[in-house]
This record gives sequence, C-alpha cells and structure tokens, in this order.
Amino acid sequence: MNNLLDFLRKYHYFFLFILLEVASFALLFYFNNYQGSVWYTSANRVTASIDRFYGDVQTYLNLQHVNRKLTDHNIQLQRQIDVLRERLADLDHDSTETERLVAKSLEGYRLIPAKVISSTLVRRNNYLVIDRGAKDGIRPEMGVVSGGGVVGIVFLTGPNYSLVLPAINARSSISCRIRNHRFFGYLQWDGGSPIEAYVSDIPRYARLKVGEVIETSGYSSIFPPGIFVGRIRAIHNAPDGVTYRLDVTLGTDFGRLRDVTVIATENRAEIDTLRVHALQSEQAI
Amino acid sequence: MLARLLYSTKWFVMLIALQVLVFNHIHIAGYATPLPYVYFLLILPSDTPRSALLMWGFALGFIVDTFTNTPGMAAAALTFIGFIRPALLHFFSPRDKEDNAYLPSATEMRHSSFFGYVLVAVLLHESIFFSLEAFTLYNWQELLINIATSSALTTLIIIAIESIRSSVRTTPKE
Repeated sequence: MNNLLDFLRKYHYFFLFILLEVASFALLFYFNNYQGSVWYTSANRVTASIDRFYGDVQTYLNLQHVNRKLTDHNIQLQRQIDVLRERLADLDHDSTETERLVAKSLEGYRLIPAKVISSTLVRRNNYLVIDRGAKDGIRPEMGVVSGGGVVGIVFLTGPNYSLVLPAINARSSISCRIRNHRFFGYLQWDGGSPIEAYVSDIPRYARLKVGEVIETSGYSSIFPPGIFVGRIRAIHNAPDGVTYRLDVTLGTDFGRLRDVTVIATENRAEIDTLRVHALQSEQAI
Repeated sequence: MLARLLYSTKWFVMLIALQVLVFNHIHIAGYATPLPYVYFLLILPSDTPRSALLMWGFALGFIVDTFTNTPGMAAAALTFIGFIRPALLHFFSPRDKEDNAYLPSATEMRHSSFFGYVLVAVLLHESIFFSLEAFTLYNWQELLINIATSSALTTLIIIAIESIRSSVRTTPKE
C-alpha cells in the first residue's frame, strides 16, 4: 500500500500528463469538425437549435416590417403579371379572317391606332375614351374599328383624348347592310347585353337567313363599305308591320376592347351625322 | 515566487497575443505556419515542477486552440512538450548547471545546445500538432512538408525572439 502511494506520489505528474492528454483528445474529438465528424451532426444540431431559437425571436420581432414588405412585393408582382399577361396576349393573338377582311377593307385609308383607356358596358349610354385626340388628327364623326369589327364613332375630341360613341350606346346609329344583299338599315342598341344589337328598317320582302353577315354600308363616309359588324342571330317582325328587326351578335367584344383604330376620313359624315344630331335634339327636347 | 509567476504570465500573454494576432495569419506557400508559442514552455525555470509544466502547457494550448478553432490539438501537443521538457532540458543542459535552478536561455546554456533544445522541442510539437490536424497519413508527403517547413520557420522565429530577449536582459546589466 505504501509502495503504491509512493509510486503515485513520485509519478503523479505522469497521471496528470495522461489526464491532460485525455482532456485534449476529448476536446479534439468532440469539437473539431473533421476529426469529430462522428459527433459532428449532433453538435451541429445543438448549434442549429440555438440558432433557430434566436432566429425565431428575431423573426417575430420583425413580422410587421416583413408583412409590409411582402405586401409591397405582392403588389409589384401583380402589376408585373398584368403587364406580362397583356404582352403575351398580344403575341399569342392570331389574326382571324374577320381581322384580315377588316384590314383589307381599310386599305387606302389613313388609320390612327389608339388604345381604349376607359369604357362602360352596363349603362344605356355607354362611352369609350381613347388615348388619341385632336392633336393626333382625330375629329368628331370619324369611325372607330377594332379587330372584331365596328366599334363606334368619335363623338367629342379633346387635345389628347377622344370620347367615342360605341355601337352599344342607345344613341348610336350606324348605317349598315347585309353582305351580298342590297338591303340596308341602321345598327341600333337599346341596352342589355353588350354583344347584342339590332338592325332595323330591313324590308319584309328580304330573304334573309340567320347567320348572315352584317357589314358597314359605306353610304356615309364614316366607315368604308364592307367592315364587319356582326351576324344575324334572329329575325323578328318589327312593330311597324312593314320591316324586319334583326337581332345581331356584334363582332366586337366591348368588354375586352383595348386596341382600336380610328379611320381618318377627310369628308364630313352626312347621313349618320344627321341622324346622330336628330337623336341628340330629340333627347334634348 | 511571485516574480516567477509574473515572468511566466508575461511571456504567456505575450506569446498568445503574438500567435493570435500575427503568426496565425502567416501561411508561407500554404504550408509553413509558425507556432512559436512553444517557446513559453522551453524558457520556464529549470526547477519548475513537472505537474506545473503540464498545466502550463495544457492551458497555453487550450487558449491558443480556442482562438484558432483547433480544439485539443495544441493542447495535446503542448502537454506532451511539457511532459518531456525535463528530459529534454536535462539532455541539452551543460553539466555544471544541473544542481542550481536557472532560466533556460542561449546565454545560460551554450548557443548550440539551446538551438538543439529548441529544434527538438519544436520538431516534436509540430509533428504532433500537424499529425493531429491531418489525422491521417494519407497525404504523408504533404504532412512531412508541413512539419518540416513549419518547424524551420518556428525555430527561426524562436531564435530571433531568444536573441532579442537575451540582448534586452543583458543590456541593463552592463
């Protein structure tokens, strides 16, 4: 026993050496990334959980700021989507037969492209506003068309903007005819669906079929002849007893109208103008 | 006793500061990293108890490790140096110094023996340190280059520090 104690006393530094080396290696294995790779994951988990707690607290404190930033970002993205979707629609848009025919019948006219910046659909007297005005050479009584067909007639012009009286205004009256027939009448609208109008003043002896094409007559110089207006949807007897009243499905989708073309005519419109003025004075009385 | 502790603490702090602020940022050609803090253990008085040498070594290594993110490596290496220092000193010290306590230095010992003392200690320390760092003999050539270049650089720096120390210490005496 005494020998053992003597041995320990004499060589205690050796045990201290062993102890310290063990401690060093423990440090080495427990904390070093490479050597302690066995423990690396658990150590990492501890660190990660501490980090996450810290992060959670910070996130909570920042929530209000983050929320506002997100909202702003959302609005920005929404706007971007709108712009891109519009561009995509423009690019995807395939020209239809109607558009080609409209384009063909408009050859030789001075055309002013414009964009619809506001429109109404559900009132009795709907109007469109386009982003071209007197400065661009637009005057009242000029015709407005779109890819789908006739849109309406310029009613008033400001320097930069114009008010258009579309076919879906109760005061609108556009001279038109049935394609391949000589009968002509006036396209009118009296509220209701924005894709349905009617043509009055077609004589009863006309042989017409549902689905035939209504086009502009060209009797007034507002529209060149032959521009698509719509198709006959139904044929009724007019209350006056001598004419038909044709329900027409309009070619122009006023709900989605955006790009329009103003037909710049040099001659002043006569017949349609007179009718418009007559209607105006009628309503004024 | 207190003066001794102050002496030790002064060198302890100074060498750690040098290591952390200067030498840790030196990597010549990507291999040679000077680790001159081992100098601290070498210049402790010759009669320092063995356990004190071990404790000093471990403490120094531990602190250096925390600064360099090498936990345990320098501690293990320095504890070992602390363990073998008495034997080393005994081997290199001149015969007439055996009996009385003295501060190991180039002037107290002969220059050549001090140089040998430092070189062997540094070689051992760097070998242990870099072996632990690599922890594999897979790249043994690279490991050898590492040990050799770092040992050479460390020895050079220790000799430089030693010459500064002896000149500072001898100047006031004259």
